[in-house]
Amino acid sequence: MKDRIFSLILLLLFAPLSGCLEPVTNTNDGCTVLETSTSNSSTVRILTYDITAFSQSMLDEFTNSTGYEVELILADDAGGILEQMLQTQGTPQSDLAVGLDNTYLQTALDFCLLQPHSTVAPSLDPSAMEPYSGTYALPFDQGDVCLNVDEHGLNETERTLPEDLWELTGPEWNGKTSFPSPVTSSPGRAFMIATIDYFEHDENETTNAFDWWNAMAENDARFTSGWTEAYEIHYSGGYGEWIDGHIGDSLLTVSYCHSPGVEAYYSGNSTHSTSITLERSTFHQVEYAALTNGATNVNGANAFLDFLLSEEVNRNMPENNLMLSVLENPTFPDTDGYSWHTDTPTMNANVSMERIAQDMETWLSQWQTATQ
Amino acid sequence: MALKQRNTAQANVMHTVQWLTLFCVILLGTVPLILAILRLWSVTQVSPLEALRHFPEQIGAMDALRFTLIEALLSTLLTVVLGLPVAWSLGRYQWRGIRSKRALFYLPFVTPPIVAAAGFLALISPGGLFSSFGLDLRGETGFIGWLAETTGWQHPGHMIALVLAHAWFNLSLMIRFVEPVIAQLNPAWEEQLMMLPKGQSASGRIRHLWLPVLGPSVAVAATYAFFFSFTSFALVKWLTPDFNTLESLLADLGGSAGIYNYRVDTSLGVLAIAGLQALLMLTILAGAGFLERKHTMTISIHEEHTNRKKRGTPPLKSRFIVYLLLLASMLPFVSVVVASFRTRATSQNGHTEFHWTLEGWQRAWTGDASTLTLLEALQNSLVYAALTLVIALPIGYILASMFHRLENNGKKRLASLLDTLCMIPLSASAVMVGLGVLLGLLRWYPELFMYRYLPVLPHVMLVLPFLVRMLRPAFSRIEPAFEEQVRLLNLPPLQSWWHSKGASMMAPLTMAASLCLAFSLGEFGATYLLIRVGSWDSLSIMVDQLLGRPKFDPLIMPTAMAVAASLMLTTLFVLWLSEQLRMKQGDAND
Repeated sequence: MKDRIFSLILLLLFAPLSGCLEPVTNTNDGCTVLETSTSNSSTVRILTYDITAFSQSMLDEFTNSTGYEVELILADDAGGILEQMLQTQGTPQSDLAVGLDNTYLQTALDFCLLQPHSTVAPSLDPSAMEPYSGTYALPFDQGDVCLNVDEHGLNETERTLPEDLWELTGPEWNGKTSFPSPVTSSPGRAFMIATIDYFEHDENETTNAFDWWNAMAENDARFTSGWTEAYEIHYSGGYGEWIDGHIGDSLLTVSYCHSPGVEAYYSGNSTHSTSITLERSTFHQVEYAALTNGATNVNGANAFLDFLLSEEVNRNMPENNLMLSVLENPTFPDTDGYSWHTDTPTMNANVSMERIAQDMETWLSQWQTATQ
Repeated sequence: MALKQRNTAQANVMHTVQWLTLFCVILLGTVPLILAILRLWSVTQVSPLEALRHFPEQIGAMDALRFTLIEALLSTLLTVVLGLPVAWSLGRYQWRGIRSKRALFYLPFVTPPIVAAAGFLALISPGGLFSSFGLDLRGETGFIGWLAETTGWQHPGHMIALVLAHAWFNLSLMIRFVEPVIAQLNPAWEEQLMMLPKGQSASGRIRHLWLPVLGPSVAVAATYAFFFSFTSFALVKWLTPDFNTLESLLADLGGSAGIYNYRVDTSLGVLAIAGLQALLMLTILAGAGFLERKHTMTISIHEEHTNRKKRGTPPLKSRFIVYLLLLASMLPFVSVVVASFRTRATSQNGHTEFHWTLEGWQRAWTGDASTLTLLEALQNSLVYAALTLVIALPIGYILASMFHRLENNGKKRLASLLDTLCMIPLSASAVMVGLGVLLGLLRWYPELFMYRYLPVLPHVMLVLPFLVRMLRPAFSRIEPAFEEQVRLLNLPPLQSWWHSKGASMMAPLTMAASLCLAFSLGEFGATYLLIRVGSWDSLSIMVDQLLGRPKFDPLIMPTAMAVAASLMLTTLFVLWLSEQLRMKQGDAND
């Protein structure tokens, strides 16, 4: 009897550690596409972050036009999507992942978390296809991550816009910068990658990005867990000044080059935030939608990809998801200074997805050591 | 003889049900944790004990430990300093509407921390109440800035805000544990002591009467206050943005833990930090349990109603203390309600200004992009709360009666051990529970995650320890001889239960039911981990989603505050309703 109870306990404990999907033979790039037991579901399960582009009316429209219902499974951000896919690998909880960006996509590919889609994409903006143009993921929005700075704050304190990132390590910037951590924030991660490229191409060959991060930490830069804390609590140039809990002790932070445009769009063409577009200090971020390996509703997921890239949905990304469309010739709207206050980077950092996936753990470890 | 046999058979069935219930509760509470530990062990190839040795090497871990201990200690001290006079005043005198006052004091404890954080941020921000008194806790200018500069204390304003928030949150613990002791103490003791030489002075009475009588209950409340200061992740995140507690550090690391060949360093970090935190929290809980048993022995001395009547209406000093702290307790809530009507807008000359509008409420009512409508989220919250009540209350009753029975049979240590085992989900970090559920149960039975009532499970597990604690003293108040007499009447089982226990348990059960409902309505952490589909969102999840969004759109903040205000009002209504029911039962009993 005791043996039986012990066996039952062991079964309860260890059964969960076994998988429940059977692999089939379709392979591509060394990955095996998993087949699941159910395939005629009328519901598409989408793993995404709290993406404002997916309004209920938009989802209703999709359901009306295709017959598929949508279930949104929410993660915190792009990193959260990847981590949840990794944790549930073998028993995927979604049919489609929407929101992996080009700093995470390669890891998802390396871990065989995705499967090829069968969507015939419309003509897409070449810059959106630059990081990845294979069949495992399709871009759905894009934007450039860069440093944002409070113009009023600079004028009031008689500081000038930095012409070199090393300037930020000087005494005039002491305690005046906030950065979202690359360990826990997607824009933070994108900016860290940009700094690696930036310092690999600057004139000084004796220092690298982590020397700069170390110097920034010694110059009392703040490191926050997410973009929200850096932009909303610490940055003095954004909407945070109108939000309870604002501290406003940083003149500079990491956001998007179009963030000042978004500020203006929601504030009647008024903003005192601008972006810094030093060569290679900006990072072109592309967000992807991709079929999950082991998806139970492949047809529904493909239908949603079509819908996401349709003219009426994707062109409205700047208003609905505060990002640029990936369709050909994308533009930010002129309304209330959205496009006028949006800066275009002179030259984005150029780091391949493969290198990002390969070196990221080392970089994060070096970053943590440098800023500790 | 037949009657005795029947009673024995009934008792045997009851004991079997109790042991089975206990087994299920412990299994559900521990299996996810064991799975999480096994997974992290397997990923890191480091055993949990060995991981503890690696704790100091984890980046930020020692700072987080230091900060956690300091803020918890300060929070506990302030809770006692503020809570003791309130409990004393409430316990000693005859107050009109005392139950409503208690309900208001209990409200912070069941308020989602994220709502509390929003309320406190409004109070400490420039233009808020504190800054109007010259205390800039957020920007740390003026006196707070001077304090920081002269003492070298980093961000004293943020720490003060967090400690205040924790004291606000934990004040109800002092009332819950200390007030009944004061109310039930036989006044004759004090009168007699005053006639003795050692009781002539106030300090003598404190030393020889109040300290020994109140000490254990204050210690219980203080221990729980210390415990809950470990787990207020949202308050720490928003009120002390430059610091981490162990819990908030775990939240940062947790997402990437438990994955083979991916960020293995974070898996080791989680194993080490969660291990130490669990050890600390289990120790605190065990300490609280020990103190609580001492406290239970001290109370139940004299009839409360008679005592209050004898002491009469509260003096001005007591009124001042109670009403002042009641007002202070309500301030964060008022801030949230006010913020729900405040919408920022840009004037024609480009200046940003605030208007009083209903736009936030309108958007909450109609549903924001990718959020539910207010009514849908309210409906979800109420369904979760009702199910939690239906499941947790009988289980809590069964467990409390079982532990009481074991204690009566002289098995106090066993009762204590089993009670501690039931508390394991409380002591574990949400990250570990979430990881275990995600990695373990999900692989075992993925369809479970498409079951919309899944969040009820953690609600039940987390509220159970509180229910057991509320119901156990009630069991010990029932006279055993009374039960024996009812047995002799040979009544049907249900009637027998009602006359021996049920009628006496109705008031504590009503109180426990209100706690179940309020707790489930406000629960955030576990719900967040388990709600897989947007259409299942509860009010607390909706508040978090809205607050977590970039707030370029001026309507996001008032919408979030409107949802938060709805959650608070619903919780307050539930607490008020239960107090009304208790009052009716009290009248009926009288």
